[in-house]
Amino acid sequence: MFEADPVFSVLSRALDNAALQQAVHTSNIANASSEKYSRLQVVFDNELQAARLANFGTGDLTDALPTRPRVVSTGEAVKLDQEMALMAKDAVHYQALLGAYDRSMAMLRLATREGKE
Amino acid sequence: MGMFNVLDISAAGMDVQQARLEVASMNLANASNTSKPGGDVYKPLTVIVRSAPVDGVYGLSKPVVAQTAPLNTEPHLVYDPGHPDADERGFVARPGVDPISSMMDLLSISRGYEANLRAFDITRTLLQKTLDMGNHQ
Repeated sequence: MFEADPVFSVLSRALDNAALQQAVHTSNIANASSEKYSRLQVVFDNELQAARLANFGTGDLTDALPTRPRVVSTGEAVKLDQEMALMAKDAVHYQALLGAYDRSMAMLRLATREGKE
Repeated sequence: MGMFNVLDISAAGMDVQQARLEVASMNLANASNTSKPGGDVYKPLTVIVRSAPVDGVYGLSKPVVAQTAPLNTEPHLVYDPGHPDADERGFVARPGVDPISSMMDLLSISRGYEANLRAFDITRTLLQKTLDMGNHQ
């Protein structure tokens, strides 16, 4: 029952993706002075987005699962300041997802306690 | 999935910057070395950094010091006829260390180290918050 809750599946996949983003930023920063290193980027396929939006509001979240992203090489050199800014932004996103998870858990907890705080 | 291994990548990044710092400092420290005419004068060194794959972290790579190799720079000839190491024309050979580029290297090393440390810190914070997930009332 718990695992089947679509909100948790969506959040879990989104957290996986955000963790990948963080790992890629870390790798880019660490390898900034490596020879022949090309900046890596996480690419999300946006094509499915439109299809998902069609299901929006139906309460069916199975189609709302974020897609598995791909890591691609951009062929560019790493710009340290840019990478730091992107990492800071994505770290906030990760924490927002954790916050959403916490709130969903709090709602479940409330329900299990029959609405008593 | 190895979010914990991501910390290793940052640690490797800091290691590499440390190695670059040692070499840049050594170049600057030895910049005024001289040797007897015909002898080998100090050759500035450089660190060659390459990327090596990390196991289990989405095929990402971490930097490793592949080699510390001498730079192909010619010694600077300075006219100093009174110097004990001067040749018959009065020139002393000094290492081909470029102080300006060495200082630029030091700046880039310092920024690189800071960036890796920051990345390490952010990853650690995210991991810590992930471990605390669901513990809030």
